[in-house]
Amino acid sequence: MTTTEPTLDLSPVAPPPSRNRSRRRSILVLVVLGLVVVLLLSQGILHSLNYFKTVDEALASRQSIGTSEIRLEGVVKAHTIVRTASGASFVLAGGHSRYVTVDSKGTPPQLFQANIPVVVVGHFSNQHSLVFQGSQILVKHTASYIAQHPTRVKAPNGTTR
Amino acid sequence: MKLLSQRLLGPLTLVSLALTVWMGLVVTPPDRTQGDLARLVYVHPAIAWVALYLSFGTATVASILYLWRRTRSLVADQVAHCAMEVSLVFIVLTLITGSIWGRPTWGVWWAWDARLTSSAILGVLAVGYLALRRANDDPTLRARRSAVFAVLSAINVPIIHFSVLWWKTLHQGATVFTANRSLKIHGSMAWTLLLSFVAFTLLFVWLLRARYRLEEQRTVSQTSSLSVALEQRRREGAH
Repeated sequence: MTTTEPTLDLSPVAPPPSRNRSRRRSILVLVVLGLVVVLLLSQGILHSLNYFKTVDEALASRQSIGTSEIRLEGVVKAHTIVRTASGASFVLAGGHSRYVTVDSKGTPPQLFQANIPVVVVGHFSNQHSLVFQGSQILVKHTASYIAQHPTRVKAPNGTTR
Repeated sequence: MKLLSQRLLGPLTLVSLALTVWMGLVVTPPDRTQGDLARLVYVHPAIAWVALYLSFGTATVASILYLWRRTRSLVADQVAHCAMEVSLVFIVLTLITGSIWGRPTWGVWWAWDARLTSSAILGVLAVGYLALRRANDDPTLRARRSAVFAVLSAINVPIIHFSVLWWKTLHQGATVFTANRSLKIHGSMAWTLLLSFVAFTLLFVWLLRARYRLEEQRTVSQTSSLSVALEQRRREGAH
């Protein structure tokens, strides 16, 4: 009796249906991703689409702000910086000659100086006060880059800056 | 035989990067306000340029090409995949160099303002794109789903770009691409900034090309592995 070996079938085999598994995985990835994006949005853009209020805006809505915590932006007025034991006090200038006195705790950043825009995190002392109690100072540097040594750099129009 | 431009790409990238480092650290003067901290302007914006516009842009365009029937090919899908990987690396580098710059200037490593938050979201979307690719086994399905995802994610790029104009942010406004087209950086500082953009653009092209070749070799290797396996089965069958 002779046994014949079954011939090996080498024709391409269709892969098992994996669409449902792929779909489940895709949905899982998208759900996780959606949660992370919502978390980031809630931390950032939704709470602070505008990161700060300018001095002018804060004074215009002074009644509604009350003593709630805000981020206040303005320019540090020259000759008003006084270093205190707990931090620094200075006058923050807005446009239209409007000012707020800031009394801030903590060490100011390295670039903190007169005539530089800053954002101060804190609150007004009381409902009607123009004294702002700061807990943190953030320096908001400008987008301009000008050489420290004026004679070494020329502006595109040829003038020395 | 390699084209001359392909052979020169690597050395040109290295030379331009070295020149940027030399110009940025030695030749350019310190900034009037930021001092030596401003030297990060020769690194951070160029990295962001690659992350947002070149890499993510390439991934988006390749995805659109894949979705459009007349130009649909797996090459477009592979290019999108490779560009997105490069983009993720540069988004992370953008966030890291931004933090390193932010700590001494702003006084904090991170601020939840519109520019920083939307940039972080783009990083999450890039991770999501790569995760979505892993979640699908079927190459056609994977290519289609990830292409749709890439195109939808690209909506975030103009949001990032205009965030400093649309909202009040701690992040500075535009220095180069300003609304009135006036350059806010002068002299050798401006030329070094331009050089950094050229250097990092070359680096992007070099990285994308290297990554794409790797992808090609992987495809060839997978195909040949299948052929070898089939051959072995045939031999087993013959015995």
